[in-house]
Amino acid sequence: MKPLRRHPHSVLHPDPSRAAGPARLAARLTASLLIAACVVGCNKSDSTSPAGEEPAGKQLTVGVNFETLQTEYWVAGFEAIKAELKGRNIRIVESIADGDSNRQLQQVRTFVTRKVDGIILVPKDAKTCIPAIKAANEAGIPIVLFNRPAAEAQGVRSIAVVADNRKLTRETVEFMIGEARKTGKQHKGLVIVGDLGDINAIGRREGFYDAVKGQEAVVNVVAEVPSEWNQEKARSGVVNALQAHPDISFIFSSSDFLFPSVVAALKSANKYHKLGELGHVILGGFDGDATAYQMLVDGYLDATGVQDVYFEAERSVQALLDRLAGKEVPSLIRDPGFVIHQGNLEAKRERMWGAQVGRK
Amino acid sequence: MGRAGGAKVTAMPAAESAPPRMASLPALRLLKRALLADHLVLWLCLVYSAALAPFTPGFASWGNLQTILAYAMPILVVSVGLTLVLIVGGIDLSVTSIVALASVVGGKVMSADEGWLAGHALAVPAGLLAMLSVSAGLGAINGLAVTACRIPPFIATLTTMMLVSGLAIWLTLSRKIGGLPPGFVRLGQELWLAGMTAGVTTWLAHLALSCTLYGKWLYAIGHNARAASVSGVPVARVTFFTYVVSGWFAGLAAILFTAGLETGNPEMARDNLLDVVGAVVIGGTSLYGGRGRVSGTVFGVLFLALVDNSLNLLGLTFYTITMVKGGAILAAALTDALRNRLLTQE
Repeated sequence: MKPLRRHPHSVLHPDPSRAAGPARLAARLTASLLIAACVVGCNKSDSTSPAGEEPAGKQLTVGVNFETLQTEYWVAGFEAIKAELKGRNIRIVESIADGDSNRQLQQVRTFVTRKVDGIILVPKDAKTCIPAIKAANEAGIPIVLFNRPAAEAQGVRSIAVVADNRKLTRETVEFMIGEARKTGKQHKGLVIVGDLGDINAIGRREGFYDAVKGQEAVVNVVAEVPSEWNQEKARSGVVNALQAHPDISFIFSSSDFLFPSVVAALKSANKYHKLGELGHVILGGFDGDATAYQMLVDGYLDATGVQDVYFEAERSVQALLDRLAGKEVPSLIRDPGFVIHQGNLEAKRERMWGAQVGRK
Repeated sequence: MGRAGGAKVTAMPAAESAPPRMASLPALRLLKRALLADHLVLWLCLVYSAALAPFTPGFASWGNLQTILAYAMPILVVSVGLTLVLIVGGIDLSVTSIVALASVVGGKVMSADEGWLAGHALAVPAGLLAMLSVSAGLGAINGLAVTACRIPPFIATLTTMMLVSGLAIWLTLSRKIGGLPPGFVRLGQELWLAGMTAGVTTWLAHLALSCTLYGKWLYAIGHNARAASVSGVPVARVTFFTYVVSGWFAGLAAILFTAGLETGNPEMARDNLLDVVGAVVIGGTSLYGGRGRVSGTVFGVLFLALVDNSLNLLGLTFYTITMVKGGAILAAALTDALRNRLLTQE
């Protein structure tokens, strides 16, 4: 039989010592706060004095916060920004929010606590980043949004360096439609969409439909696969779509990082063939990652829309420095991006970040 | 008779009759005492803070303490609700999805851009009521699934999680809802208001667990539901009510999250489930049911927030921080298993 003390909350034998619980808890909390206050007091001078006494020409510190490093694109962006900052002898403080808006807000406030000179942020989304931008604004720290803009809000100041996802997707899909038209037949199309909580995924989906609208004679879209940026969901979605429509011959993926799923599904349906071969499925994507580069080199991929990571990183850092120097900086800086395909691969590969990542 | 007295009465015969065991070695005895200590995590928080403060720029500042509290409070509220469910021997995987749906519902009611009561004087109270009602209602669905349909809590709440997440996305078509009234936003952005909301509800949960019959029933059911039933505890009703309370707490957390980020968001707190479960387990609540305390959860949340914050301030990489946090949660789960073994041996 278990002893009574192991049933401190027994129904039949309420423990009188529990009655003192609230008082004990209060005492413990008070003790914790006192200790915390002591620690705060002891360190107060340390944490506040240097900021006002920095000599002119001090080394700048920039906080870099990314919402996620889930895909190669974000890793490449992160590394490009760090390289750009390092190249200009700027100290870096980094943090990743791991997809959590609340954590991202905390991390930006942490940058403010550390009195960084500037912040480069990849926000979780356009709206939940507003309090983080406000926190930076209130502290007088310039903030640049990398690759994702913020929604308009009164009194909130930021600079956004972004690719036009909708436009670049439209241009990529228009190129694919041009290739499809050359075959002289009507193609059945499939689009893989991303996580529709992501403004970039929404932009790419809209760009795809902008391009195919009115082109039904060339491409008739018969399937839309929701991936939620998950490779396994993308794979099973494409497999299902190919079973329902075995004659699908035109596929656009909203991100290149989903290509391994597409390739696996096509191979299992015996539909993965090079350009020019009988049964080739016209393939397009977005991002310009290492997988897409290799598929272009191997002759399986028709086109992909490339976000110019190096352009965005350089402009983000320059915008911060310009703002710190008191110069006027536009609130929106556009990355024009480019469509890369077999015809311009040689000319454009140097600006394709996936080609550089693949070489490492 | 207090707990210490009870320990002497029950431990004496075993000590006299059994041969000396490993646990009788002083170092092991100390380790055992530490493992079974009620406030291990509180001491960990204090030692951790004291150790890192001198080396971590900005860690021990008032501004940073505010940052930690602002981050931790919504998570604390969700965690308190989950603590009750774990004590009763269940699990609620849907809490963060409930936060997301409540956030969307609040936005749909209050938003000046697209809210059903945009600009109306009653928009904020109606929005709050809607958020709490929807959350408690979803908790009731979980409770019914577990008690009336006898679906295992893991499956029941996993299903609710998927349904509710999908519903939140469908209601908004993935768009975030802005334009929330300033009176509502203050609830999450003014630290004293958010602190009072989280503090009072946490305190009430603590009182309910430690000073009421409901609390005794929770522990009894979690420890052994069949025995509790034989003793006259209304097991199904108490379990059902606990899921409702957990849902309600998720709704309250949704208010703090939504107001803090000024956005109704169908993905709100989606990635916080591990933090919430981790904080509760680190706080000493057993995954096996029957053991746990609200104060432990407070310190569990605080510990994870401190670790997260300090490692960020130290400028460690994302990968390192993730591994350290994962390690802390794993250590807590192992400690829980070890505690159970030690208690069973006694």
